[in-house]
Formats: sequence, structure tokens, C-alpha cells
Amino acid sequence: MLTPLPAQKWNEETAAHLLNRAAFGGTPSEIGTARKKGLATMVRELVDVRGEATNVPPPAWAHPRNIREMRMEIKGAKDRGENFQEKARQLRAMEGEEILDLRHWWLDRMMNGPAPLLEKMTLFWHGHFATSVQKVRDGYFMWLQNDTLRRNALGNFGTLVKKISRDPAMMIYLDLQQSRKEHPNENWARELMELFTVGIGNYTEPDIRESARAFTGYRIDMTTQQFRFAPFQQDLGPKTFMGKTGPHNGDDIIDILIMQPACGQFIGRKLWRYFVEDDPSPQVVDVVAKRIRAHNYQIQPVLREIFSSEEFYSERAMRPQIKSPIQYIVQTSRLLDTQLPSPIVAQNAMRQMGQILFAPPNVKGWDGGKAWISTSTLLFRYNFTNYLINGDAMLPAGSPPRGQGGDLGFRRPGALAEEIRRDPIDIGKLVPAELRDKPRTLVDLLSTRFFQNPPSEKEADAFVQYLEARKPDMSDATMRGLVHLMMSTPQFQLA
Amino acid sequence: MLGAAATWTLPVFLEKTFFALDAMAADALTQTVTGKDGTILVVLQMAGGNDGLNMVVPYADDAYHRARTRLALPADQILKIDNYAGLNPKLTGLKSLFDEGQLAVIQGVGYPNPNRSHFRSTEIWQTASEADRTVSDGWLGRYFDNCCAGADPTVGVAIGEETPQAFAAKNPTGVTFSRPEQFRFRPSEPNDDRMSAEEMFFRQLNESGVVEESAATDGASIGAISGKTKNDLSTMDFLRRTALDAQLSSDKILAIARKYKSTVTYPQGQLAASLNIIARMIAGGLPTRVYYASQGGFDTHAGQINAHERLMGEFNGAVSAFVTDLKQQGNFERVLLMTFSEFGRRVQENANGGTDHGAAAPMFVLGGTVKPGMFGKYPSLTDLDRGDLKFNTDFRSVYGTVLDQWLKAPSQIVLGRKFPALAIV
Repeated sequence: MLTPLPAQKWNEETAAHLLNRAAFGGTPSEIGTARKKGLATMVRELVDVRGEATNVPPPAWAHPRNIREMRMEIKGAKDRGENFQEKARQLRAMEGEEILDLRHWWLDRMMNGPAPLLEKMTLFWHGHFATSVQKVRDGYFMWLQNDTLRRNALGNFGTLVKKISRDPAMMIYLDLQQSRKEHPNENWARELMELFTVGIGNYTEPDIRESARAFTGYRIDMTTQQFRFAPFQQDLGPKTFMGKTGPHNGDDIIDILIMQPACGQFIGRKLWRYFVEDDPSPQVVDVVAKRIRAHNYQIQPVLREIFSSEEFYSERAMRPQIKSPIQYIVQTSRLLDTQLPSPIVAQNAMRQMGQILFAPPNVKGWDGGKAWISTSTLLFRYNFTNYLINGDAMLPAGSPPRGQGGDLGFRRPGALAEEIRRDPIDIGKLVPAELRDKPRTLVDLLSTRFFQNPPSEKEADAFVQYLEARKPDMSDATMRGLVHLMMSTPQFQLA
Repeated sequence: MLGAAATWTLPVFLEKTFFALDAMAADALTQTVTGKDGTILVVLQMAGGNDGLNMVVPYADDAYHRARTRLALPADQILKIDNYAGLNPKLTGLKSLFDEGQLAVIQGVGYPNPNRSHFRSTEIWQTASEADRTVSDGWLGRYFDNCCAGADPTVGVAIGEETPQAFAAKNPTGVTFSRPEQFRFRPSEPNDDRMSAEEMFFRQLNESGVVEESAATDGASIGAISGKTKNDLSTMDFLRRTALDAQLSSDKILAIARKYKSTVTYPQGQLAASLNIIARMIAGGLPTRVYYASQGGFDTHAGQINAHERLMGEFNGAVSAFVTDLKQQGNFERVLLMTFSEFGRRVQENANGGTDHGAAAPMFVLGGTVKPGMFGKYPSLTDLDRGDLKFNTDFRSVYGTVLDQWLKAPSQIVLGRKFPALAIV
């Protein structure tokens, strides 16, 4: 059982923890407001998402098209030995533009949307049901999956798995639409068990073969870009799956999987890892798994209990977590009280930091935790933050070189100066004029804003000494330098 | 207040870190000072699916000429190796290496159940997984994790904008940059002449943290912390350690880039630029075991004849300059360069004067101490798998040989099982 957090433990620290983990961090004033509202109200505001937050209008280009025709046209030209390359190039360029837009569209929802937890859960499911545009190669399919994840993010897990089994992007990614009665494709069936529901060690190879037969007949209509069921391709014969014999179809298989205790454990552990700590104890996983089953796999009430629990705010749980690149981009922009970087800059930042939305490295999604940080990604984080704070003035003169973005790592040929142009932040929003000549007070104020834990005495001293060394120059540039210095630390990588 | 940053001479610290853990620490100390220790592997990725049939050409096979009426290279232009196969006419430098006994050509390399998707097949080569299994960490990442714990972060260096999946590890190590100047902390106000206050304090913050933290927690000296693998560290110590690593390796890489210039003229092009950087890093004695470079553009579905000729020319020019450079440095004996591509191409050319995604293809392994010759068997051009060459050497046999015999690392641990060794090293 998760123990409710006693009211007297609700304070600035616990409020900040809730906003860090269940949302994309809070500014000092947001944290203050959260504390005043109280735990119950805050959890309700985060978890009880209203309809309009899930019912999101798609980007203008995201509507079904006859992509079959477009691809056939190119293939036909190719087969006839005609020049198909210009058409192919146009299609690729369109795909590239759409996914670029979709990435920014989602970042904007995380940053400015009405339901940060909903977006954070959608990101959780994106990593869980990892699907990459690299194979799917169509922005509409990727948007459609994102929409399905969002609409079901806080709903019933079993329902979500069934919807994902009919999701065209996933079907392409794991070859489900190629599965035939005579040759069932096992790719989806294997990952369904290994990565999506019960985890390795909780199924057998015959379970994979039998369930692959149950998921036959799943097709995509490429002219309407919708799921289509082809009954004549369905294997209606008896199958023995996890000890149960019958003419199981795909949904039956999912129902059987959801009933396995291992499924609650698997999802519980992953949720706890995402929201709380890298290395959950078996005890806490047991408790969460029980709550998941008690709520019949409804995610919303489980999250409500987690965020209201003493365990979520325990000393162990409040130990810092490394921000994911997506969290880093969104939270840093929020803490600086500034705008997101432009789509092309954001996309390249995702690439350099190792988390590209709609392009997880493989079906396992992102490992997270320490895997986010290498010498290269850490230095990139520091330099990217410099760009967010100081704008394009921080880039060396003459950059980006042709075909590259220099320090921001652009790969797109001819990335335009306009796309990387950015003004310095309005430092006045972070640094009150009267504190400019009070280094210690200023550093304390900014530390509260930027760090989950107070900096060590040495670190705080270094920030103060920086200001002393810059005297008498207490200009905006000095202040921006301070902010960049404070963010270029191990501390700031944590939430 | 700059004490922490200024009192460490960076190379000394790096060497200490490296040697404390290097398996051959005993004689390594003098070696690193001169930059002449340890063997080095250079992995060269030919991205997009290189047409192996037009790189190592079965010129004497009628089936080759029949399948490729537009693309077959005339037999009289081939740089002949034996009475069946020879090298693409552009690979003159490689042919010289072969004749000098410094190039091994491994024919028909692939894996069971070949996947014809770039994305997936690249992943299989990068992670050395079975075709039906997904693995997150890369084969070189597993080498770093298992055999280089606590080593200098520059144990792996990838030249490019993105870290290759082959480097993905439980404890990410290795550095990635396309230009050395990129791999550094940039203060708010770029200042070439004197270190800005921001950079000074940045150094203080990033270099002092680890020492204090670790000394406080376990009373260890600098030499001893390096013995702790990153896996054992708390999240905060791990970050501090990585920040320190980043700072030190950035300084070292920049210093080498400034000091060492090649006397050899490299041709134009990205691959040549990448190999040039690698040669300079080797000359400067960076304690790197694995370098990674790549050449793109091999996905020749149409108009292949010109495109592939240009790619072969670029490859030949870049590798030849690199080899000359290493020979001048006296480092060629320490270096093994291995090429790979995610797949070869279909035997039958298509209607556009190009080729579609295929399967098995040759790999080159070259270096001053390589055992030269043709290895494996050229796959049959008529007994095909869905129109593609059948492999006869698993690529993991090549990886395994390189690991065991060149890097002296247990391949069974890195690859999960033992693959038959080849007599190339």
C-alpha cells in the first residue's frame, strides 16, 4: 500500500519535486503557488486532465493522404528506368519537413500546453511503444500514433495495448502488416511480450509462435492511412497460449497477457523508474504492481496515488534524476523564461543529446539515466544552454559553415541564418536590478531557481567569486555569464 | 582561486588515469609519453550499402557481366588480385597495399537472415546482434564497458556529428566531434586572448568537484578514484567525473590539434578530413584504442557508375593519405583499419543503372602488421538468396578476431559467444 503524504510534509521542496517529475519543472513562483494550493489540489490539477487537453487539433499537414499512390508513382518511374529521383527527393523533403514540424509541435505542447503530465505520460508511452519514423517514413502515421498515445495516456493500459496493435506506425515498425496466415510474422508478437507487457523470462518461444498466429489479418489501407482488418488472412485455428487453448485473436492474447502478474510488475517498475528513481526496490515495485492490478490497469488513479504518496517524496525517491534531453530542452527554456529554440535548432539539439522525438534508437526506446550523459553530450548541453541564454551571438563568427551548424551540430545543408537567429534572454526577468551588486543574495536566489538541491558551499563560492572577478561590470552580459556558469554544472543536469 | 585548475598539468593527470587501469600498465607509462603504446583500431563505415561487387570485382565470372550489362567494370581495367577477382580501378592505393602485404580482403561477409533495411541492418552491424534480436548497446560500447573500465574517456573517438550506435554503452564513454574546436566548453563571451572569468570558474567548478567529492566520501587519492568505474558512482559523482573527463579530454584534443599537423597532403572530402584528424590524434599520443570514421553516399539506386567511381576514388585517396601519414609517423604498425557497410547490393542491376539493397559483401582490413591476402570465398553469383550473395563469413568472426588478437580483449564477453577466428592478424 502506498502511504499518503502527511500534510505537514508538503512544502517548497516537495512541491518542487512534484513539478520536476510530474511536469517539466516549476519556476519559483509556480512552486510557491503549488505549495499554497496544497498537495491534493496540485495532484488533481496534474492528473485530472480535461477533454480539451487530450483532444488536440493536429498540425495542418497531418491528414490522411494516398501515400501508396505517391510511392507507387516513384517506384513505377524507377521500374521503367525513368528519372524518379527528383520525385523521390521531393517526397523525402516533405517527410523531413513534416517530422521537423511535428517534433516542435509536441515540444510546444510540453512547454506551453495545458496538461504537462499528460504530455509527460505521452512521452513515457512513446518510449515504451518505441516507434521510429526512420522506418515508418510518414509524418501522418507518426502523428496518429502520438494522438493515440495522448488520448489513452492516462486511461486503461489494456485498451492502449489493443489500440497500439492496430496502430499503423507500430504495424509498419514491427512488420505486423506483413503477417500472413501461412507466414505469421513474429516480430510484433515477440516485442509485445518482451518489451510491452510481461518482460523477458515470462513467456516461451511457443507462446511467441502461437500468438503471432493470433495477430494475423491486421492490415493498413495505404490509400486512407487507416487500420484495416482482412478476415481472410486471419488464422482462426486453435492456439495454445500461456496454457490457454482456443481460437484466440489478437485482443484475446492481450487480455491473457494483462492478467499475468508479471505484467503489473513490468509496467509498475517502468513507471516508477520514469517518475521516481533509476533503481526501484523490489518492494516498491510490488506495491505499485498491486495498485495497478487493483485499479484494473487504469493509469490515472495509479498516478494519483503515486504522486500523493510518502514513498514518492521519500529521501530515496527525492535523490536526483538526470534530466532527459527533452526534459532538459523544455525545462531550461521555462527556467530562463524564454521561448523554445527554433524547430531546426531543437531537432539538432535532440540529436546531439541523444533523444530525438519520433526516432528512438530501437524498439527498446531510450535507456535513460546515466546513459544520457557522456563527455560529448554533457559539453553539448553546456554549449546549447549558452545558445539559449546568449542567442546566436555565442556562435563563432562566420558559422555555421556550409552544410553544418558548427557548434550546434546542424547537418542540414544550408541551414539558414534565420533559423538559428536568436536574441539573448531578457535577464531582467531573472535578476532583479537591486540584487546586481549583492552577489551572495543573487546567487542564492538563482540557485533556488535552477537547482533541485542547494549547491555545495564551494560551488556557491565559485559563482560569487565570478561576480567579484567581473566587477565593476555588472552588465546584462555579466549576469548572463553567471546564469550560463550556473547551468554549466553537474547540478543543473539533475531534476 | 585558480589553484585547482592550474596546479594539475593535464596530460599527467590523464596518463595517471589511463595507466591505473590499462591492462598493460607496466610498460605503458613510457609508451604514452611518446604516444607509441598500444594497438589502435580504426573503424571505417561505408554508409548506405556499398556495392561490394564493384569494389572487389569478380571480373572473370560471366555471371557478373551478364547481370550487369551497364555496370560491369571491364576486365582489362581491374586491378587483378587473382584469376577470378580484383579491385576497382580507382583503388590503386589499396592495390599497392595489397602488393606490399598490408591488406587483407575478406570476401562474402554477412550474417544469417540478412535484413535489407539500412536502419535495421546498420543496427545489426553496430550492435553485433542476431538479425532477430534487438540490442541497445554497441559492440564497441561493450568492449569499453567490459575491457576499458575507468580508462581515459578518449579510449573511443568518433569523428562525426553523431555518436555511432557501436559506441552505445551502459557507461557511455568515448568522445564524438567533427572538428576538434567543437569539442570544448564555450563561455558566453568568446575570447581568444585570455580566459574569461566565466571559463576560469567553469574550470574550477568542473575540475575540483570530483576530487573533493571522492576524497570526502572514501578518502581516495586522485589515482584511486580512477579505479572506480562510473557504474559504481552515485549519480552526482558520475556527473562530476564526466564533467572532469570532458574538460580534460577537450583540452588534450585541442592541444594536439594545434600542435600536430600532417606533413602529408590529404585530398578534399569529409572522409579525408576525418582520417586526417585521426592521424593527428594518433601522432599526438591520445590514449585512444578505437577511432571511428564514416563515408556516406553508397546508396546507389540510380546512376551508379559515376557515383560509385567517385566514392571509390574518395575512399582510395583518403585511406592512401592516411596510410602514408601513419607510415611517416612510424605508427602504421600500431594501427588496424577495418571497413564495413550495412550490406552489399543486388547482383542484378536495376533499370536505372543502379543497384538495390543486397546482402553479403567484402570487408577490408589493413595495417602495418596485418596478415595479407584474400580470405574466405567469393560467394557464388548464381546460387543466390532472393537475388543476393550468400555470406560465408559472419561479420562477427571479423569483429571477434580483431577483439581477441588486435585489441587483446575477450571477444566472447563482448560478442556473447565465440566466432571462428580468421588468420588476418
